[in-house]
Amino acid sequence: MSPRGLLVAVLLVVGVGVTLASCVGVLVMRDAYDRLHYTAPATTIAPLAIAAAIVLEERLSAAGVKALLVALALLVTNPVLTHATARAARIRQLGEWTVQEGEHVKGERP
Amino acid sequence: MSSEFLVAALAVLAGLVPCGVVCLRGDPVNRLVGLEMAGTVDTLVLLLLAQAYHRAIYFDLALALALLSFAGGMVFARFLERWI
Repeated sequence: MSPRGLLVAVLLVVGVGVTLASCVGVLVMRDAYDRLHYTAPATTIAPLAIAAAIVLEERLSAAGVKALLVALALLVTNPVLTHATARAARIRQLGEWTVQEGEHVKGERP
Repeated sequence: MSSEFLVAALAVLAGLVPCGVVCLRGDPVNRLVGLEMAGTVDTLVLLLLAQAYHRAIYFDLALALALLSFAGGMVFARFLERWI
């Protein structure tokens, strides 16, 4: 096996392993906040490892560039989704919150 | 067809089982987290399958799923926050 083939195999094992570990983490955690943490490795490490493996195979052809684009899309959109979901979970639990009279919140006008 | 990418795609596909179990249990927010995770896993599977079959056009499918599962998750989160 060539060094490049070996590197592709290692990157694929990393990507697959991280994804499966994240899935098991989502399954075993107790509440939504804990579960949300485990979606992060599957959208950062795994897509980058898999896209790197594809770029090593294909160079920067159409396939390689598109694979990097998919990894970038997951990388950018998932933190937003995690934030929105955690916010929804908190509002369902504790109700909508607003700044009270006399309460000072950083970044908020008194 | 390259076999190592096909094997990796099948291995990642097994990750859908825990996501499905999460989608079937608990309150709606927990189920939404399971759905988001399943969307991510599906995107990775499509990415690996596109490379396994050596078709550059199949990568567009993974890209579309990545963006649409984000939009779907945002809509669900907004609905759970306000109305459901």
